[in-house]
Amino acid sequence: MSEDIVRIEGLVKQFGSFRALDGLDLDVARGEVHGFLGPNGAGKSTTIRILLGLMRRDGGTIMLYDRDPWSEGTTLRGDLAYVPGDVSLWAGLTGGECMDILAGVHGGMDQKRRAELIERFDLDPTKRARDYSKGNRQKVALVAALASEVGLIVLDEPTSGLDPLMEQVFQGVIRERCQEGATVLLSSHILSEVEALADRVSIIRRGKTVTSGTLADLRRYTRTSVHALTAAAVESLEAVSGLENLTTAQVDGSMETRFTVGPDELDHAIGLVHAAGIRSLTVEPPSLDELFLRNFRDDDTRPVRA
Amino acid sequence: MTGTGALVAVLWRVQRRRLLVWVLASVGTLALTATAVARLYDTPEKIASYGAALGSDALIAINGHVEGIDTLGGIIQDEFGFIASFLMPLMGVALVAGMTRGEEESGRLEALLAGRIDRRVPVVSALLLVGAAVVTMDAGFVLSLLAAGIELGPAGLYALALGMVTLVFAALAAVCAQVVLHSRGVYALGFAAIAFSYVLRGVGDVNDTFWVWLSPLGWLEKTAPFADQRWWVLLIPTVVVTGLSVLAVVLARRRDLGAALYRRGPGEPSASAWLVRPLGFALHGQRGSFLGWLVGSVALAAVMGALAQDVVGAILGNPSLSKAMGITAANAADGFLASTQVYLAIIACGYVVQALGLLRHEEAAGRLEPVLAGALGRMRWLGAQVLVVTTGLVVVVVVSAVVFGAATALSTSDSGYVGQLLESGLAYLPAELVIAAVAVLLYGFVPRAFALAWAAFGAVTFIGLLGSGLQLPDWVLNLSPLTHVGKPPVDDINITALAWLGLVAALLASAAFAGFRRRRVPQG
Repeated sequence: MSEDIVRIEGLVKQFGSFRALDGLDLDVARGEVHGFLGPNGAGKSTTIRILLGLMRRDGGTIMLYDRDPWSEGTTLRGDLAYVPGDVSLWAGLTGGECMDILAGVHGGMDQKRRAELIERFDLDPTKRARDYSKGNRQKVALVAALASEVGLIVLDEPTSGLDPLMEQVFQGVIRERCQEGATVLLSSHILSEVEALADRVSIIRRGKTVTSGTLADLRRYTRTSVHALTAAAVESLEAVSGLENLTTAQVDGSMETRFTVGPDELDHAIGLVHAAGIRSLTVEPPSLDELFLRNFRDDDTRPVRA
Repeated sequence: MTGTGALVAVLWRVQRRRLLVWVLASVGTLALTATAVARLYDTPEKIASYGAALGSDALIAINGHVEGIDTLGGIIQDEFGFIASFLMPLMGVALVAGMTRGEEESGRLEALLAGRIDRRVPVVSALLLVGAAVVTMDAGFVLSLLAAGIELGPAGLYALALGMVTLVFAALAAVCAQVVLHSRGVYALGFAAIAFSYVLRGVGDVNDTFWVWLSPLGWLEKTAPFADQRWWVLLIPTVVVTGLSVLAVVLARRRDLGAALYRRGPGEPSASAWLVRPLGFALHGQRGSFLGWLVGSVALAAVMGALAQDVVGAILGNPSLSKAMGITAANAADGFLASTQVYLAIIACGYVVQALGLLRHEEAAGRLEPVLAGALGRMRWLGAQVLVVTTGLVVVVVVSAVVFGAATALSTSDSGYVGQLLESGLAYLPAELVIAAVAVLLYGFVPRAFALAWAAFGAVTFIGLLGSGLQLPDWVLNLSPLTHVGKPPVDDINITALAWLGLVAALLASAAFAGFRRRRVPQG
């Protein structure tokens, strides 16, 4: 069996005249948490639905456990759990009942883990679904998916209704499941969450993969921002190649300098700052936010392969 | 098919109440009809008199052409005919629409189909459950008929033929559910098919043509359970059910989740000035159901009006009877017209209950909350909705009455019917407003109990359709506001009663507004 649990190449999906997916690529390796990022309407949910065999592809290849999800999905889906972006439950049933129904179609839950997760997510399983808030409906689906005995967990923006505390619980549970060997495909636009969890990230836009790689890989293409207060003015920063957004000012007898710089020239630039006598130094690592913004600010979809 | 068992279990868990209500309502209606008929017609002479009376001839268009009308079973079939024409098909359409497109539309099916469940399973499971419901219903039918003194053979054939009608429409709805995007589309197509079948059967029966054989309701009639007992006729619906089911499953296998063969094009990029006003917004939300009921009502009025002359001919064709009962050419059609008028009033009641039920759906779906969170007061919102529904009711009633009068006048060449039938149609308005007020009252105080408005509609329908035929006690008949109108044009309109009905409607509606002002919004 190949190491890639999900393998998508050049995936195309057409809705009438609208091309929702236009040659999308995605690989999810066994045991990783794969972040699947993109702005609203980029095609994340469509990709996931094709992966689950709920929609048919119009072009390209898509493999789930090395099989075609459209024709063989029924058996393949026994080994995955799924939390849709918009969780809808049966109004008259309790959260506990809904949970068992949702998990039942994947082969059932580990009862010990079910009880533990209900406790950790602080969920009352005896309430009727119609009385749940959005966050609590999401928790029901999350418990059902995360307590299932499956190899792949597919999550489509699973935490949009959770508070920060529950978000922490969610991240903790995902890490535990990965240590036990599960693979996770996490579609999200909450970048801090992806940053905290994902081993690798694929960013898509307008149905195409823009970039894909490990977080470390992707960071190589982003810039570190530096904010320094020094005794003297920092010399010859202008000469550093690729240094941008340089501003200087005089603050309470110190020189204030701000700039951003790429990974290759970081050492050189900090050396120059050091030579001017550092009084205070803040270095912000490149965040996924910046990566995201950089990829989506300009209008071309030039792939940045890592 | 993988996952059938699992999904049947899920659907049974979440839909069993609806399934049971449909089965109980159907069996209950037939059981009541059968026992009442058996009690009324307890001697061979009385049974023979039923067939000879003018009612049966006149009402062929409405109840169907019943073979063996001179038997107890035939009388039951005739009395149950009109209700069965709608109850049986509706059961199939409603159950399948809810279990297929309804679940898909809500997004719940997506989470389930992401498991070990084949794409074809939702439609298969829905049909299996409806099948099980029909088997249970048929068993109930047979027991009710046996209890009324019908033999097992005819009882079994009649029960099977009735169940087949439900199955045909269930399979048709299953195909529609693959073709259109929303469950309300499935309902709309289903209603259209029901109306079409009814008209085909009615026109075919009156003119005695092969049209009857094109209607699922015609197949029910042609089995003739209380005369020739043509068991082979059951083969036709069996083949149709099988064909439609296979088609539905094939379509389900090929299509994407959430996709439909028919899809609407892009709409307006922004709301019109009219749409952002409470009245315009209410109008927009109510438009679909209004048009549906209007078309249904007008179609029934037109068909029945057009058949009026045939009815007159049938009655006057029995000179000794019509002479004995003092019937002349001038008033021969009145009984038939009065019955049709009651049916039109029932349709109008159905419209108001359904249209006001949309308010409850709006609220349960969470769409009311943002609307009321703005500067729009809740009294104004409810006022606009009620105004739109009431106006819709008046339009449905007036247009149907005018069409009914015009069609009757054309077929009988008596222009007097236009004014007379408009008057009778309008006479039912206060009674229909009482039903509307009951529905608003439930919405204003306990929206979760809105199903009771449908129960009230069911009771009014039962009393209106079967009350006089089954000679129910007066206190039961008087429970229905329609009873108090006075059955025009056969009897005079009771003006005092109309005033009382109007007053009751106004009082109930005021209470409803007071309740809505105080209660918690939203209530899921």
